[in-house]
Amino acid sequence: MMIHEGLANRILLWAITIAGLIVIYAPPLYLLAVSFNPALQPGLPSLSDLSLIWYAALPKEHALVGALQQSLIIATITAVLATGMSLLAALAYFELRAQRTAWFLTVILPMFVPGVIQGLALSAVFTRNGIKASSLTVIAGHLLWAMPFAFIVILTSFAAVRRSYLVAAADLGATRWRQFVDITLPLIRPGLVSAFIFSFLLSLNEFTRAFYLAGRQNTLPVVLFGKMNSGASPVIYAMSGAIFLASVACVALIAIRSLWPGAGKRSTR
Amino acid sequence: MTGPRLPISSVLMTPPLLAILAFGLAPLTIVVVWSFWSWDPLTYWIKPDLSLAGYAAILEAGRWTVIVSTLVKAFGTALLCLLIAYPTAYAVHFLAGRHLNIILLALITIPFFTSYLIRSFSWRLVLGRTGILNTWLRDLGIAQAPLDWLLFSNFAVVIGLVASYLPFATFPLLLSMRRVDPTFLAAAQDLGAGFWKSLTSILLPLTMSGIFAGFLFVFVMVVGSSTEVQMLGGAGASIVSVMINDVMRVANYPLAFAISTIVLVVIFGLVLIGNRIFGLASLFEDQSP
Repeated sequence: MMIHEGLANRILLWAITIAGLIVIYAPPLYLLAVSFNPALQPGLPSLSDLSLIWYAALPKEHALVGALQQSLIIATITAVLATGMSLLAALAYFELRAQRTAWFLTVILPMFVPGVIQGLALSAVFTRNGIKASSLTVIAGHLLWAMPFAFIVILTSFAAVRRSYLVAAADLGATRWRQFVDITLPLIRPGLVSAFIFSFLLSLNEFTRAFYLAGRQNTLPVVLFGKMNSGASPVIYAMSGAIFLASVACVALIAIRSLWPGAGKRSTR
Repeated sequence: MTGPRLPISSVLMTPPLLAILAFGLAPLTIVVVWSFWSWDPLTYWIKPDLSLAGYAAILEAGRWTVIVSTLVKAFGTALLCLLIAYPTAYAVHFLAGRHLNIILLALITIPFFTSYLIRSFSWRLVLGRTGILNTWLRDLGIAQAPLDWLLFSNFAVVIGLVASYLPFATFPLLLSMRRVDPTFLAAAQDLGAGFWKSLTSILLPLTMSGIFAGFLFVFVMVVGSSTEVQMLGGAGASIVSVMINDVMRVANYPLAFAISTIVLVVIFGLVLIGNRIFGLASLFEDQSP
C-alpha cells in the first residue's frame, strides 16, 4: 500500500465514486426497468408482471424501424471510414517527429466542435452547393465526430508495437509494407476492432448533427427525439432501453477485453 | 531506410486530413466568413456585404444573457464534475484491486458511447411529478406534495449535464494519475505525511494537467450541449446551442453564424491555450507502458 488513506477517507472516496456512477447509470437503468412494465403509467414493474409487450410492439412502429435501418447503414459506413482514416492518421502520427502534437490536435479538435454548429455549418455549405441532405451528408457529419475517439483508441493500441520488432524485421529485409502487415497489423487488431465498434456506436447514438443533416429518412435518434417530446409512449422506453443495453454490452465487452491493456498488469503497489 | 523519397507520413496523412478539412475546417471557416455578411430579403439568404448586424443582434432580446448563463452552467458543471471525478479517479487508480479496476474502467468508458439523448430523457422518469424520486420523497414523508422544481428546471439541467459529461473529467484525471511516479508518494509517506498532506502537496500538483484537462473538456462539452436543455430545461430555458436552433427556425442566418463564431472562438481559444500551458496532447501521448 502506497498511501495510508485511513478508513474514513477511503469510505469517503468510495462513496463519491459510487454516487458518480449512480448519477450516470441509475436513470437509464430505471428507464430499462420501466420498459418491462406492461402498465401505461411509467413505474417499476413488480417481478410478477414483467412483460415484453412493448418490445413486441416495436416491429409495428414503422417510423422507428425505418429510422433504425437508416441509422444502422449510416453507422456501419461511418465506422468503416472512421476506422480506416484513424488508422492512417495514427500511422502518420508515428512517422512524424516535430509536428506530432500539431497533428494530434488536428485530428482531436473536431471532438470539441459543438454538434449544433458542425451540423449547421455542414448543412448550410451542402445546401449552398446543391448537395441534397441524405445518408451521405449524415455520414460526413458523423465521420468527424467518430474519428477523434477512434484515433485515440488506435493510438493507444500502438503501445503493443515495440520499435525493436520493426527494426528487427527491417534488418531481416522486410519492407515497410511487410512490417506493417506481419507485425503492426496483428498487434493493433484489437484496437481496430474497438475503434470500429466505438465509431459505430457514436454514429448510431448521435443526434444533433443528424438533426441538421438527415434527409427524408431521419435517423433513429432524430425520430426518438420527436416522439419523446410528443407524449412518450412505453414503446419509446422499449426502443431507448434496447439501444442503451446494446451499446453498454458492446463497450463492456471491448473495455474488459482490450481497451485498457495495462490495466491488469498494474500490481506494483 | 535511406535515400530521398516522398515522406511516407504525408501520404498517410492525406485522406484523414482531407476529411478534416472538407467536413470540419472548411465549413466552419465559411460560417465564420458568412457571419460578417448581411441578410438579403430577396433571396432569403445572405449577400457578401460586410455587416456586423449578426453580432449586433446578439446584444438584443437578452441573447447575451443566454451566452453568459451558458458559461456559468459550463463553469459550475465542470467544477461539480471535478469534485466527483477526482475521488473517482483516485479510487480507480489507487484503491481498486485488479478486477475491480477493470470493471470501473469499463463503467467509466461506457457512457462515451451511449446515447446522450436517451440518458437525458431517462432523467424525466426519475425527476418528474410522478417520477420515482417524488414517489420516494412522499413515501418517506419528506415532501407532502410532489416537488415541481425537480424537472424542467435549471436543477434538472445541471444534473443531466453532470451525468452526461462526468466521464470527460474522469478520463484525463486517470491518465494523469497513471503518470505519477509512485515513489514520490512513498517518500512522502516515509517522511510522515498523512493522506491529506500527500494529496495536497504531491498528488494535486502532479495531476494539475489532468485537472485542467478534465475541467476544460467538461466546460467545452457543456458549451456545445443541447439535448440536456431540450429534454430537462423549463419553458424558455436555453443554452447557446438551443438558441442557435431557435434562431435557425426563423432562418436568421447572420445571427446563427455570429453566435456560432463566438462559441467556436471561445472553445478553440480555451483548448489551444490549455494545450500551450498544460500540454493537453501529452496526456494522451506516449501511452506505452
